[in-house]
Amino acid sequence: MITRRLFAGGIDRRVLTVILLLLAAAVIVPVLHLAVPPSSPFHVPNYIVALTGKYLTYALLALALDLVWGFCGILSLGHGAFFALGGYAMGMYLMRQIGTRGVYGNPDLPDFMVFLNWKELPWYWYGFDQFWFAAIMIVLVPGALAFVFGWFAFRSRVTGVYLSIITQALTYALLLAFFRNDMGFGGNNGLTDFKDILGFNVQAPGTRAALFAASACALAFALAVTAFLTTSKFGKLMIAVRDAESRTRFIGWRPENVKLFAFVASAVMAGIAGALYVPQVGIINPGEFAPANSIEIVVWTAVGGRGTLVGPVIGALMVNGAKSWFTGVLPEFWLFALGGLFIAVTLFLPKGVVGAYDQWRRSRRDRAARKAGRPPAGEEPTPGTNDVQATPSSSVRSGPSSGGAEPQPAE
Amino acid sequence: MTFLRVLAMILTAFCAAAVSPAQADDAALRGIIAKFAETGNYSQTRAIVAELAASGDPAVAGVLNALADGDVHVRTSDNQVFITKDAGKITRVFDPLTGEALGEEPKNLFEKVKVNNSLRRAVRDALSSLTLGSADPAKRLQAARTMFASPDAASIEALDAAIGKERDAGVKAALEAARAASVLISDLPDDEKRGAVERLGARADRETLSLLKAFAERSKGDLKAAAERAVSSIESGLAFWAAAQNVWYGVSLGSVLLLAAIGLAITFGVMGVINMAHGEMVMIGAYTTFLVQEVIRGTAPWLFDWSLAIALPLAFLAAGAVGLAIERGIIRFLYGRPLETLLATWGVSLVLQQTVRTIFGPTNREVGNPSWMSGSFQLGELAITWNRLWIVVFALAVFAALLYIFNRTAWGLQMRAVTANRRMAASMGIRTPWVDAFTFALGSGIAGIAGVALSQIDNVSPNLGQGYIIDSFMVVVFGGVGNLWGTLVGAFSLGILNKFLEPYAGAVLGKILVLVVIILFIQKRPRGLFALKGRAVEA
Amino acid sequence: MGRKDTILYLDGVSVSFDGFKAINNLSLVLAEGEMRAIIGPNGAGKTTMMDIITGKTRPDTGEVFFDGDIDLTRHDEADIAVMGIGRKFQKPTVFESHSVEDNLLLALAGPRRILPAIFHRSSSAEAERVEAILQTIRLTGRRYDPAADLSHGQKQWLEIGMLLAQDPKLLLVDEPVAGMTDAETEETARLLKDIARTHSVIVVEHDMHFVRELDVKVTCLHEGSVLSEGSLDHVAADERVIEVYLGR
Repeated sequence: MITRRLFAGGIDRRVLTVILLLLAAAVIVPVLHLAVPPSSPFHVPNYIVALTGKYLTYALLALALDLVWGFCGILSLGHGAFFALGGYAMGMYLMRQIGTRGVYGNPDLPDFMVFLNWKELPWYWYGFDQFWFAAIMIVLVPGALAFVFGWFAFRSRVTGVYLSIITQALTYALLLAFFRNDMGFGGNNGLTDFKDILGFNVQAPGTRAALFAASACALAFALAVTAFLTTSKFGKLMIAVRDAESRTRFIGWRPENVKLFAFVASAVMAGIAGALYVPQVGIINPGEFAPANSIEIVVWTAVGGRGTLVGPVIGALMVNGAKSWFTGVLPEFWLFALGGLFIAVTLFLPKGVVGAYDQWRRSRRDRAARKAGRPPAGEEPTPGTNDVQATPSSSVRSGPSSGGAEPQPAE
Repeated sequence: MTFLRVLAMILTAFCAAAVSPAQADDAALRGIIAKFAETGNYSQTRAIVAELAASGDPAVAGVLNALADGDVHVRTSDNQVFITKDAGKITRVFDPLTGEALGEEPKNLFEKVKVNNSLRRAVRDALSSLTLGSADPAKRLQAARTMFASPDAASIEALDAAIGKERDAGVKAALEAARAASVLISDLPDDEKRGAVERLGARADRETLSLLKAFAERSKGDLKAAAERAVSSIESGLAFWAAAQNVWYGVSLGSVLLLAAIGLAITFGVMGVINMAHGEMVMIGAYTTFLVQEVIRGTAPWLFDWSLAIALPLAFLAAGAVGLAIERGIIRFLYGRPLETLLATWGVSLVLQQTVRTIFGPTNREVGNPSWMSGSFQLGELAITWNRLWIVVFALAVFAALLYIFNRTAWGLQMRAVTANRRMAASMGIRTPWVDAFTFALGSGIAGIAGVALSQIDNVSPNLGQGYIIDSFMVVVFGGVGNLWGTLVGAFSLGILNKFLEPYAGAVLGKILVLVVIILFIQKRPRGLFALKGRAVEA
Repeated sequence: MGRKDTILYLDGVSVSFDGFKAINNLSLVLAEGEMRAIIGPNGAGKTTMMDIITGKTRPDTGEVFFDGDIDLTRHDEADIAVMGIGRKFQKPTVFESHSVEDNLLLALAGPRRILPAIFHRSSSAEAERVEAILQTIRLTGRRYDPAADLSHGQKQWLEIGMLLAQDPKLLLVDEPVAGMTDAETEETARLLKDIARTHSVIVVEHDMHFVRELDVKVTCLHEGSVLSEGSLDHVAADERVIEVYLGR
């Protein structure tokens, strides 16, 4: 089979299933939305298309985070920043498409610039009236930021919680910056009131369905790419860096380059997710940079199971589904539930739903094997799957130093 | 101006024996005032004003003020002079000397004593030279400042007289400055002016600067050079005060950062626990203060000035208890897994925030300042508010106390032992789980008392802690983990850096720049300012 | 002996951490193909010396040359590893969630860039090499098991196997028999002697029994410099060495 040839380690059946499901959804949901009359029980209403389309971009974002966290051991608390940057790039394109239909009817300047008495378009808005240019920027801007940030951080060997904290500071700094009116990104209100995307009305059911399909396909494609990456020798290298960074260095690899590649690839994925998110929700504002948002991405990934490919997708869909339900029924309790989820997952489900399911299945198989009188298989996943779990012992204790090192884990 | 009020209070305390001015008797004053009825032009009026001023009696201030406001009227029927207040068709009439209300009369019975701008200025000068003789040093100081702001060669004599009598050093200095300012625009000899320039050169404020600049432009030769020297010395003086102001703001911000970060320096720096709920411990402290004040307001308002002192131990206990519960309930299962700890404590922070929001509502709660924390005082050109000063003092006191606990007590020794070598400490009979728990509780409790202090300068809302968590981590990471002194230096250097960037970059951009600086700094020195070096560190 | 003929040449090397001199004017020369055992009490500077050779720590002063004329102080860990110095840590460090085979595959000499790693296809030459190393380190039977499941001694061997896969000229082996049974210790000594036939090796070890079995020249470090050098019997008879070890 082609997949066999493409994927050195053999693609996981589970990942393949999810990819096929997504591709099927990309076809079926738009059809049910557009072609089936609203009276039919099979009709998918507008808000469901928009909501699930948004969830799919979240799933893509969670998958991006999983690539760096689950496989490379970099807990980024700033992935929301890459998502938001991709979103802003798309938002700028959409703003330019408004043309003279804005409140002030200015053909060149978006409304907020007219409101702020700006006379001409700032240079960094040039080109965003072209979709191809915006598309390049969606990939380039988050990628470049990740490259610069990662180049500095990984080269100087900032790791562990230190890295997490400075990624949080990064998104916090961007949050403050984008709140400023004179940045030229709409300040507090962000970019909104979009009209067209590629000449189609963003509100139209057809466009919504197309955006949904695009999100599903993007997620399917990203799953395929990450599956390919993680099963390659590079994927093994990422896990090697996660589990014993200095060992990789002493056998001649450069962990900083491994991490940098993973980080940039992940940022680009996050940027694309953001770009698909913005036309579906119709707004992008600095709130997307809030550190709390980035930490929420972490919990999606953690709930689903980091270090697995389908885990983050399932986690993002589950948590966001729960969020929508809670905010509809018991809005005050959502934060309790989310907080509780953080605690419960780290304490009781360190491998997430997918990891816990695997463990349960394995132990059942072992029991069955014992009953049949055969020796049980190993504790760890069998070779060949790309669902490689982080072992808790991966945070290698540093030597017998006193404080001053990485904070001393107190065992 | 609040600082004046404070100064006035201090001065009053020091000058029990006030200078008593010469009092002219009532009838003589009334005689002078009556002359307003006969005045035909501005110069005559001016003469009367001068005469009133010469009486030296503060009682004439009322009529002079009224004159400047155009409220002195003459009753045409009997040529009596009154102070009047317009009230529609009628006019209310007051005694010109005592200000006693004499009833209401039709408007058309009165004729106004006319004033123009130069006359108004004359009145004002008269008033200030009058108040130079006031028994209240604050009034004298006010007068001296007014005269300094609008110098007049004619007032030199009055000032000389006042300087001769003045016993209060502060007022005297102000009087001398006013005199010097007047000398500059007089036609006195150059020697006199040179003295004045020197006298003014010792001051460092903006008014003096513009005064001397103007003088330098007018004058020539030696005098010009002297004035220019004085100008540059004032300019450098002003630059110094501006820098001092920035340093003070920076120290003030630094103390806030120190308070917020110092608990974290224990839990993160010493124990290695990433407590994302640290900010919520600060919040708990602030809400404890709110509750204490509520109870005091309801039951014993006279205790209000003690509310913070009462809140401190309670906040320590409340936040410490929550911290203890978090450690026992969650963190102890996650030791050695810093990233998981980070996530779980983030969850805790969400729950705590939402709990507080449910109980107290999402809006800001009012926490009052006790009297000893409100107001401000002047130090040179610096305005220092009491609450900021107390917070600096308090932050340093907390730091010192913590340093003492850590380095000088048995508990501190146990904490250090457990951090350095857990197994060895355990085998020597130290109960390491309890040391962990209480160290964490201590860090949380300290955050709680930080909340008491921060409730005085920040909004007490469920989001209070969120604002501090990133800054606190930055301070600890910047200062170097596991080192209390590093936290101190980190807090103050970040505070001062922030305030020095602000004038150039603006508050938000300044903050962003600081974050960028820290991010770059961590790249350069991943272990912070005060990190240990050595083989074991990176092993 | 001139620098040109040496595989490793340290001259006058010093390094201090916050005033503490971890290495103090240390000079050490290793000939090509030589195996050397380094002993010394705790804190003698053995690990710091390894850190300096592998580029992890920069010396304050002194010269460190590899293979005659490569100045090691100018290179970092990854460079030095590629140039041909392999290092085994004191605590066995392997990639726990990878299989034994994958551990070796990652260590195999070859390009160390990212793109080739992404599109890498395993070749039969690689498989043969891995097979040979597995035999050398006696782990053929555990080829597909995760490294986490290996015993402590087997992890030590796997780590040594990873060094071999790198195909280095010089191996630095830090306490290879710590925590091993007597049988494993003897096996390890045989393994190292095997390796030393084709490589230069430095072994740091506390276990005198093991050092005696290696039967090579011994250097005793103390407080960051060389205290005594020669055969084990010579060093063991040295008054100063006895004093350092027994604290008289």
